Amino acid sequence: MAYSDKVIDHYNHPRNVGSLDKSSSDVGTGLVGAPECGDVMKLQIKVNPQTNVIEEAKFKTFGCGSAIASSSLATEWVKGKTVDEALSIKNMDIVKELALPPVKIHCSVLAEDAIRAAIGDWKKKQETTKPAAVEAK
Amino acid sequence: MRAAQFCHSCGKVQPPAPADYFTFFGLPRKLHLKEAALQREFYELSRKLHPDLSVRADAREQAWILEQSSRLNDAYRTLKDPIQRTQYLLGLEGVQLEEQSKSATEEARTAGTVKKQVVPPALLEEVFELNLQLEEARLAKKMGEPDPELVRELEQQKKKWEAQFEESLEELKGYWHEWDKLIDHDAAPEKRAAVRDKMVDLLNRRNYIRNLVRDVNEVLEG
Repeated sequence: MAYSDKVIDHYNHPRNVGSLDKSSSDVGTGLVGAPECGDVMKLQIKVNPQTNVIEEAKFKTFGCGSAIASSSLATEWVKGKTVDEALSIKNMDIVKELALPPVKIHCSVLAEDAIRAAIGDWKKKQETTKPAAVEAK
Repeated sequence: MRAAQFCHSCGKVQPPAPADYFTFFGLPRKLHLKEAALQREFYELSRKLHPDLSVRADAREQAWILEQSSRLNDAYRTLKDPIQRTQYLLGLEGVQLEEQSKSATEEARTAGTVKKQVVPPALLEEVFELNLQLEEARLAKKMGEPDPELVRELEQQKKKWEAQFEESLEELKGYWHEWDKLIDHDAAPEKRAAVRDKMVDLLNRRNYIRNLVRDVNEVLEG
C-alpha cells in the first residue's frame, strides 16, 4: 500500500509537534488510542478565554504514518477555529484530504476523537473554574 | 467430534457448506477446547482430504476437496490459537472491533460528547509515557550515547509489562470458563453479551500491552 503525497508530507514534516502546559486552565488535553493497532495520540489545544478561538494546537502521536499525518492535519485545522467550529471536523474530512485508504480510516477516527477529547477536557475546566453561581439552587 | 465434510452413508466428500470453524470441526461454540483432540481431528481430516487421494474423483469433487482442505487449514490455524480462537468467537458474536470504534465516534459526534475510550485512561497514559521513554532511548542510542539509567528503567518496564501480558491470558481463561458455562446452560443473550464485552475489553488492553512488550524488547535488544 502506498501513502499519498500529503500523508508523506505530514509524516516527514509534521506540523505542531510538542506539548502545552496540561495544568493551564486555557489548555485542553485529549489522549486517545486505537486498540486495533495500539496507536496513541495526544492532542492539546490552547483556547483564548475571550473569543473561544483555538490559538495553539500541539500533538504527539505514536503510530503509523497515517495516524501521524491525521493528527498533524487536525492540529492545522483546529488552529484559528472557535471551539464550536472545531467540533464540526469529521473524520471523513481528514480521509478525503489525505486520501486515506479504507484500512487507514481508523487513523482519521482517532484524530477526530482526539479533537473532541481535547475540547471536552477544556470545557470541563471552564465549568470548574467558573464561579459557583450555577450550583447555588 | 463429528465433522460434516463427508457423506454419512457413502463417505464421499461433500460440497463446502457455509459453516463457521467450530461447526466445521463439529464443536460447540465454547472457548476451552482440547488442543490434542483438535490436532488429531485435523490430521485425520487432512489425510482424508488430501488431493493425492482424490485422483479418481471427478473434477467437481476434486474442487470440493480442495476447498474443504483449505477451509480445514484456516479453521485449524484459527481455533488452535487461544487468542485467535477468542477473537474469532467474538466476531461470530457480532463484535467488530473497528466498526465499534467508528460507530462510537459517530455517536459522540451526534450527542456532542466525548467518546468513551475502550481502555482505561490510566493505561493510555502509561502507554504514552513509555513510548516517550522509548523514543528517547532510541535517539540516545542513535547518537551513540546510551543512557544507562534509562536502560535500567526500561528493563523494569519490560518485566512489568511482560508479567501483565502473562496475566492477561490467565484473566482471559477465567472469562472462557464463564462463557462456556453460559453455553452449557443455554443462557440468555444478555448474559452472554456481558461476558463477551469483558473479553473485548481485555483483548483491547492486551493489544496495547503486547505492543509495549514488543517495542521495549526491540529497544533493549536492538
